[in-house]
Amino acid sequence: MLKPITLHQAGSQVTEELRACIGCNECLLACPALTEPITIDVLNMQTFSEPISSPVARFARSCYQCGACVDPCPVGLHRDAMMMWLKVRLLRSGQGK
Amino acid sequence: MQSYSSVVARTQDQRYQGSADIVIVGNGIAGLTAAVEARRLAPDMRIVMITEQCHPTINTPALKQFATGKLEREQLLAYPVGTERSQRIQVLHGRVEEINAQSKYVCLQGGGYIGYGVLLLATGSTANGLPENLPGRDFDGVLTLHRLQNYLDLRRRLNEVDEVAVVGGGLHAIETVTSLLHMGIQTHWFIRRKTCLSRVMDQRASAVVMKHIEKAGARIHCETEVVGIVGSVGTVAGVVTTYNQLISCQLVLVCTGTRPVTTLAEHCTLPMMYERDRGIFVNNQLRTSVPGIYAAGDVAAINNPQTGVHEIRAQWYAAVVQGCSAAAIMTGQHPSTVPPFGVPWHATRIGELAMLTVGNPLGRAEGSITLADSNKGTYRRLSLLDDRLIGYISLGTARSDGLAIKRLIDEGHSIRALKEPLLKGTFDGRKYFSQQHSTTVIAMTTGGNTSPLHSLYHSPAAPGTMVESMLVALPSSSAGSQSRKLLSYDRKRGH
Repeated sequence: MLKPITLHQAGSQVTEELRACIGCNECLLACPALTEPITIDVLNMQTFSEPISSPVARFARSCYQCGACVDPCPVGLHRDAMMMWLKVRLLRSGQGK
Repeated sequence: MQSYSSVVARTQDQRYQGSADIVIVGNGIAGLTAAVEARRLAPDMRIVMITEQCHPTINTPALKQFATGKLEREQLLAYPVGTERSQRIQVLHGRVEEINAQSKYVCLQGGGYIGYGVLLLATGSTANGLPENLPGRDFDGVLTLHRLQNYLDLRRRLNEVDEVAVVGGGLHAIETVTSLLHMGIQTHWFIRRKTCLSRVMDQRASAVVMKHIEKAGARIHCETEVVGIVGSVGTVAGVVTTYNQLISCQLVLVCTGTRPVTTLAEHCTLPMMYERDRGIFVNNQLRTSVPGIYAAGDVAAINNPQTGVHEIRAQWYAAVVQGCSAAAIMTGQHPSTVPPFGVPWHATRIGELAMLTVGNPLGRAEGSITLADSNKGTYRRLSLLDDRLIGYISLGTARSDGLAIKRLIDEGHSIRALKEPLLKGTFDGRKYFSQQHSTTVIAMTTGGNTSPLHSLYHSPAAPGTMVESMLVALPSSSAGSQSRKLLSYDRKRGH
């Protein structure tokens, strides 16, 4: 049976979650794919509106959606959904490969 | 309307420092968010932000992680370095002393003044601290935790202390106690009342929190106040309690709440509605009672849709959302584009314990009922009015999707089928709303109508054209079946 599911949250929900991010960095500390010093302020900005820089693009490509970032969030946000949104932005901008 | 002669007179005045379309007082998260968002919406407007702070906007909720060494200073920045410059936001370091609301300018300390088209007050809050007459409050080692400087001070000291006293019964105190325990520091926690978090939690929830913190190693002193601080050669040596106990410690950390900085409401040439402890009163578009002046963040008292009372929401998310909304209104966007603020919510983590409060969990609305479930150190409480959720408390190791639960309340969803997962902490907001959203998308594509749900949450910042749901094959066993077994929860009518 075919069931509709959401592969990533709606843009408006991702915006809401970005607004609720308190910048504690716990998600990045838990991430096994992060190999460069990317700060949460830069990641948040580029997830939604700013041009995507090379380090953030590399990070988005290397994210394999393991979900390790979700549980440590003290505010209960879905960084995995934000990363998926970033990945889609990356693809749309032609930097996905 | 200003006369030509007054404008000429102003521009010839040496103290006149120009004017801006938007002047923002305060560079906290509400102020800078408003400035950045206003720039996005109005590329040509002149934006000036005036601040007394000697540092850029920081993530204040992350200050405890900074104090305990988990974060470096650079990681505290709320926006990337140079944002103000890249966004052409002029930052003035100074203090605004008065607002001339008739002629639309603000007076700066030292005699200068700046004209404004619209003015946003984002002056934040100040810490209550200890009583003025408390003996020993001036000893070195008594720190009121509120600003970056306080946490810089704390960070330098933490490696040299064995015992710390924390004063206060709110979330700020709890998070401080937890951070200290995480560092292996012996911590005494002083609470004036019998329970902690008495404004947002019932006694059972409070007991769960306190038991958790006690288990982590804190010495909790309930119904106990610090009546004096003992020193040794100018530094803290201990505290004296209401029970005449002397408890040894090298640091006293004061977390006794905050109050809004309403000074500019007092120093405005037109009467502005405010109360010193309750903030500057604003409507749903963040307008104060004075034309052309708005307020956002910890200083703004907004209407709680559930209680009808104007109150401050001194929380990060609320400040960000208010900053965005203020920018939209100040740049002339139609008020309908500004989503309502809805009910308050707050989420945090206390060690392994995830804590969430949404809406009005302790409310006593007529006809409301309360459902509660507690088991092995977890606790959840639902306040319901008919089939609608009006308040929610969750404590447990599993985190809850707070924003999704807030949305259930804001949009008035029937939770008839969701009571059990909400009580058990298994409510999957993502799944629930994806199903809702899929329905919306189908309705939009087949009927051409945008549902109220979509328009309420649609953000102009969203790319918007993305296909958000796909059809994929799922095994029938995972098709969202919910257990229907009966729960043994307390049910109290009228509470």
